[in-house]
Amino acid sequence: MNSGIEIDTVAVNPLSSEERADLEESLKRCSEETRNAVFEFRETGRVSLLPGIVIGLIERFLEPEVRPKLRSSDDSIRLVDDLRIDSLTMMEIVVLVEEALDISIDNQELRDLRTLDDVSCFIDAKTKGLPLPQRGRLFGIEAIGAAVPHRPPFLFLNEARVENDTAVGAYTITGEEDFLGGHFPGNPIMPASIMLEALGQLAVFHLVTTQKNGMGSVVDSSKVLFTSVEAVRCQRICLPGETLTLRVKLKHIRHPLAMFEGKITVNGESAAWAEEICLTFDWVGVAGAR
Amino acid sequence: MPRVFITGLGYICSIGNDQGTVVRNLRNLKHGMALFPPVNVPDSPVKVVAPVRGFEVDSLDQEDWTYPARYKIRRQTIRSFSPHVLYAYCSLVQAIENAQLEEVDISNKETGIYTASGGSIRFIYHHLRRMEKRGVMRCNPLNIISSIAGTLSFNLVSHFKIQGASTGFASACASSGHAMGFAYDEIQRGRQQRMFVVGAEDCNFESVVPFCGMRALSLSRDPFRASRPFDRTRDGFVSSGGAVTVVLESEEEVERRGVPVYGEMVGWGQASDGHNVAISHPEGRGLESAMLRALEDAGIQPDRIEYINAHAPSTPIGDRSEVKAIRRVFDPGEIRPMISSTKALTGHGLSLSSVLEAALCLSALRHGFVPGSAHIRQLMSEAEGLNIIRQTVNATPTYILSNSSGFGGANTSLVFRHV
Repeated sequence: MNSGIEIDTVAVNPLSSEERADLEESLKRCSEETRNAVFEFRETGRVSLLPGIVIGLIERFLEPEVRPKLRSSDDSIRLVDDLRIDSLTMMEIVVLVEEALDISIDNQELRDLRTLDDVSCFIDAKTKGLPLPQRGRLFGIEAIGAAVPHRPPFLFLNEARVENDTAVGAYTITGEEDFLGGHFPGNPIMPASIMLEALGQLAVFHLVTTQKNGMGSVVDSSKVLFTSVEAVRCQRICLPGETLTLRVKLKHIRHPLAMFEGKITVNGESAAWAEEICLTFDWVGVAGAR
Repeated sequence: MPRVFITGLGYICSIGNDQGTVVRNLRNLKHGMALFPPVNVPDSPVKVVAPVRGFEVDSLDQEDWTYPARYKIRRQTIRSFSPHVLYAYCSLVQAIENAQLEEVDISNKETGIYTASGGSIRFIYHHLRRMEKRGVMRCNPLNIISSIAGTLSFNLVSHFKIQGASTGFASACASSGHAMGFAYDEIQRGRQQRMFVVGAEDCNFESVVPFCGMRALSLSRDPFRASRPFDRTRDGFVSSGGAVTVVLESEEEVERRGVPVYGEMVGWGQASDGHNVAISHPEGRGLESAMLRALEDAGIQPDRIEYINAHAPSTPIGDRSEVKAIRRVFDPGEIRPMISSTKALTGHGLSLSSVLEAALCLSALRHGFVPGSAHIRQLMSEAEGLNIIRQTVNATPTYILSNSSGFGGANTSLVFRHV
């Protein structure tokens, strides 16, 4: 994904020989391909080099066993949970990216970079000097709780972000969930039904934060109910300590029905998929539909 | 009150990177000095250092470092190390093995760690140079935590998942003596069952050469003679670095685990000179008080001490002050404990020295010898009549006293007992 504006090259400041030597030193642990791409970018300003550079710079800081995930071409890969990048490593990456691409990144901008996709969109806009992509505000658990009727221990979202017809959320399985005691004793596995529930909750969140009717009424969160789900596949068991990356996309909506598709990944691997999650809803101030 | 035993030791120092080598060199009075290439520059009058061997840590990039293959350290761990943190890590791994500790024994609320180091002047210097050159926002994000004096604690506590007490001590060459003393107190007071005490220092151009300005270092070019405590011609200390870890445990833990002990720590004392920012009191008043307090804490008379491991760094003033203090505490006519300074062999490891010397005393105790004070050709006149042993003596002293003195006139004295 990019900013949508076609720019092939950007202006670059030529490297002095001293800067070049410093940069070579800083990049010495990157792959040769990455090093060459950085120097080519600093000469030509060709933006098509950027995605590869950014991946290459991140890769340099990863423990060998998580490196293959970076190349799995799944944009929803999460920097912290999936690639085990802690905030200090993030800072190391930022300093190297800044130096390699001759840009500056401030703390505020960093806060919203959660996935590889966030990073590539951000770097793309930053180097082109374009406004940063408005990725939709990231909601934490309190804000989610204020929007949806679900509450712990039956709220399965730690964070969520809405962008147009899509909502992306995350839930980390703590291992403390009550039901894991019985599902299964001594062998806790996240129930598939709860994973579908989490997708449903994310869909509710999307609905109540985005939809308005012609009269300007918003969705009444107490009147959203699950009606059906079609074509479900579970591809992977999910265990305590793992983070579910949840994604729902609104397929169509016509009062009182809203249809979403949903997908869950863990560590970049598909965990579950639902073709049609159907919710009924009603507007604030309107008598209940059922 | 709970008794406190020593159950594990780990060494990375100028006379060896494992206990076997250290004991062999200590017994045979083989020193660790060498002409040190990093200080071999025209304007450095100092040539001899007691370096750490087997580690290549000159690069400012930790991923370039090489170190003995038995230690495996991940990038995410080593990235916040300065050289002395690497030494400390290795000494702690050794001490854990030596004390036969399992992971559950290390990471619990009853196990703590006290550390002593002066930080890494080298890393601070180079990080600030990078900041000047490339700008404030291009600082290495780990520059502070890898270099300031607390870096030992930050790294070791997080890596070894220590959950009990942790802090660092900064009293220069008495730092790890304070760490030993307060670790002993933690166990005696029942606050902790087990304490790691780790002392460590870098050993590089930046850790050595700044002492030139105060004329504290030996200018000898002879590695076999440069460090000669109690010798009439002594001309300054020989700088060293490395790391040592000592494991202290309560009697209860020792019994529960059924492990052998090196000895018992039975008391300690500290006192200050209140005299000068760098020079020890000419009469050794602070050190005298520290020794008396240590004996009182141990509940023994001076005549019970059979061996004193002196601080004696081979400086003209320091050795003289200590000799005077020892004379007053141990009337030389009546009480003649053996005395030696192992700094003749190891050099002076600054914050590391006190815990290093405590460990050397305990290793020697286990192997039934008392190390001699090497490199004395002519004994300083002030030490006439004291039993400064020049050769290793086969003996197992019941009580041992180990002294340390630091800048600002900080003094510590530790008492160990053979069990």
